[in-house]
Amino acid sequence: MAGVLSFAIIMNTSRDNLSEVLHGWRVAPPADPNFRHAVWHSIDEQTRVTWPIYLRAHPAAWTMAAVLAVSAAGYTGGALARAHVQADREAIVVTYLVDLDPRVQAVLKP
Amino acid sequence: MRFLGRTLVVLALAAVAAGFLCYRLNSAPALHAAVAKRDAMAWLQVDFHLTDRQLAEIKQAHEAYAPSCEEHCRMIKEATVALDALAATRGSNPAQVAAAERTLQELRTTCETAIAAHVRKVAGLMSPEDGRRYLALVLPKIADFDHQMAPGLDLKKGHH
Repeated sequence: MAGVLSFAIIMNTSRDNLSEVLHGWRVAPPADPNFRHAVWHSIDEQTRVTWPIYLRAHPAAWTMAAVLAVSAAGYTGGALARAHVQADREAIVVTYLVDLDPRVQAVLKP
Repeated sequence: MRFLGRTLVVLALAAVAAGFLCYRLNSAPALHAAVAKRDAMAWLQVDFHLTDRQLAEIKQAHEAYAPSCEEHCRMIKEATVALDALAATRGSNPAQVAAAERTLQELRTTCETAIAAHVRKVAGLMSPEDGRRYLALVLPKIADFDHQMAPGLDLKKGHH
């Protein structure tokens, strides 16, 4: 406000007095205790990188990594389950056939 | 750096979730339960999609087959004992040993033929697709039993 008033005074001052007015012009803004914090906050806002921003900076790499990780894990999970099913099936078919096969029973029976 | 670690953790969690989901989707809990109980009939019902009626017919077929199975078992056992006795006798006639071996082998072949006929009958009680799958699983193992004892079978355990 002080600056604006001084500028109005300058504009209304004759050329002869201008240098005198300018010489005596002092800007005295009110002290802002939050000024330093506000400046740093502003700088921090501009430089802050969020997680989405970080991910968007490398979209191809992270997309590929996600697809590979999920696909590999899914395939491994499916393969483990199928192997487990197959192993159990092999075990039970032997149990089943032992009951049917006299050749095995001839050995097993006392 | 903190975002790299966080992203890797999220990726690992997603991978674990995908692996678990695919495991559950490809698993067969009913089959595992039947195996855990060593319940071959439950396995047949689950794995070959048997209706209660089909299962009852298959159980009936097994029961009808059991006496001939017992008879084959007895004959093979007697033939084995006879062969062992001949083989253990010093100066036994090689022709007699060979004849005993032939008898045992004939009995085993007859037995294998009977089992194969029985499982074909059982397969006929299933749906065509399940019957084919059943035969593809069971027939090779029946043939293998003649050359080697049941794979993974603990012969020290009692039976029946």
